[in-house]
Amino acid sequence: MENGIAISAKNISKTFHIFEDSHNTVKHRLFNLFNPPTRKDVPALKATSIEIKRGECIGLIGRNGCGKTTLTKVLAGVYPTDTGNIRITGSTMLMSLGVGMSHELTARENVYVSGSVLGLKIKEVDQLFDKVIEFAEVRDFVDTKIKFFSAGMMARLAFSIAVNAGADVMFLDEIFSVGDMKFQEKAIKVFESSWINGKTVVLVSHGMNIISQYCNRAVFMKDGRIEFFGDTQKAIELYTADNQ
Amino acid sequence: MILRIVNDWFRQSNKLERLWLLAKIEFKLRYYENKLGLLWALLKPLLDIIIYYIAFKIILKNDIPAFASFLFIGLILWNFFLESTTGTIQILSVKKYLYEYSNMNKLEIYISTLLSNSIGFFFNFIMFLLFYNIFEKESSGLSVYNVWIIAVFVNLFILSLGMSLILSTLYIVAKDINQIWTVFTSFLFFLSPIFYKLSTFKSALPHFDYGNPVAGIIINARKIMMEQSPPDFRLMGFDYVYAIILLIIGLLFLNRLGSTAAEKL
Repeated sequence: MENGIAISAKNISKTFHIFEDSHNTVKHRLFNLFNPPTRKDVPALKATSIEIKRGECIGLIGRNGCGKTTLTKVLAGVYPTDTGNIRITGSTMLMSLGVGMSHELTARENVYVSGSVLGLKIKEVDQLFDKVIEFAEVRDFVDTKIKFFSAGMMARLAFSIAVNAGADVMFLDEIFSVGDMKFQEKAIKVFESSWINGKTVVLVSHGMNIISQYCNRAVFMKDGRIEFFGDTQKAIELYTADNQ
Repeated sequence: MILRIVNDWFRQSNKLERLWLLAKIEFKLRYYENKLGLLWALLKPLLDIIIYYIAFKIILKNDIPAFASFLFIGLILWNFFLESTTGTIQILSVKKYLYEYSNMNKLEIYISTLLSNSIGFFFNFIMFLLFYNIFEKESSGLSVYNVWIIAVFVNLFILSLGMSLILSTLYIVAKDINQIWTVFTSFLFFLSPIFYKLSTFKSALPHFDYGNPVAGIIINARKIMMEQSPPDFRLMGFDYVYAIILLIIGLLFLNRLGSTAAEKL
């Protein structure tokens, strides 16, 4: 890929096909061979191209249902695209509430599995382990299954893994709503420190202060389309106008 | 050159470490979560053996020599196939947390789960060796042909992986594949020579050992471990071809259907 480009997506689109009747069993398919299910197509992401440079922090804003989450999931490689192609340099991580951890595993196991999935070797996770646990404030529950954790504890652990293990390209979906006030302050401090230096970050948020403070450029989305991509302040103005 | 590239790839990436870590955790979750722990992994085939021994040796009075060992090797191979197929139908749903936030290759999830099953198989196989060589009165002892069991197990691993890929990706579009497969495996269990004498099986179902790869694998494992003879290479060749074809179909399914797992499951 061209030097300095972390994400290059050309002409990507995504339509969800929602079936109103339940046609997800062999029995139902056989009994309804000549009665195809009623299909509803939801074009969540209309043909779009985007190029993000390595080390950039990009804000992704728009009203609910405009396609922000679909775009991040498509870019992160979680959803396949219907058209176009995406090229990403390095490992990716999508971080949003409750995603990426098994409730059947302990905090310790989740740290090791997530670290490993993000490309770290076991020795590297060993070195990071205490830092992750301390930051997440779950020292007394290291060997407890996270299904017994509160939502806040779980989110703090996921955030701490992201901060300490991190991937080359990070998609952060509303991460500043994690934890209590004290933890949020800590999270912002981390964000303000050198953490994002060198990393490519796509930040999804409804908090315009955060977007204007940390993002070099911003994307404004409406009805599954990128309406604007460029100056952060201009994108925020468009978003604000859309909310009037 | 190819070997060097593969070697470099493994050294630089953490893929092998990750596979082993996931396999260990899976194994722990399966066996250490219940009170009997690892003992359950060993107890399960032993209890099966007792049931079939009573039914076929004591009640039906069959004349297969070393019948307990005959059952033992058949059942541990069958159980591996069953656990690796029936047990993984919902794998893309259960292990969603591994691929819904990163670009991790889904194939690694399958391989690690089958590796975990392989650890269970390994313990059972050690038990079989001890039982056959120490307690079995009609044992013919160890032989150099025993090493062929590695090739038989690799064959079973590929076959199970292929079926696991096919079934779990079909589960995305057909949720009742679980029930269909349960019925099919019950049928397959009785169409495999697990507790039948090979000659009875062959006379009742001529050439069927070439049509059922699980049967071929069990027949060859018994030849290698209990008859002090090399495997039937023609049969083994057929079984490898079946396994590889199913693996290729499974990979195609994973590529086509598996890519939609995150949005559909």
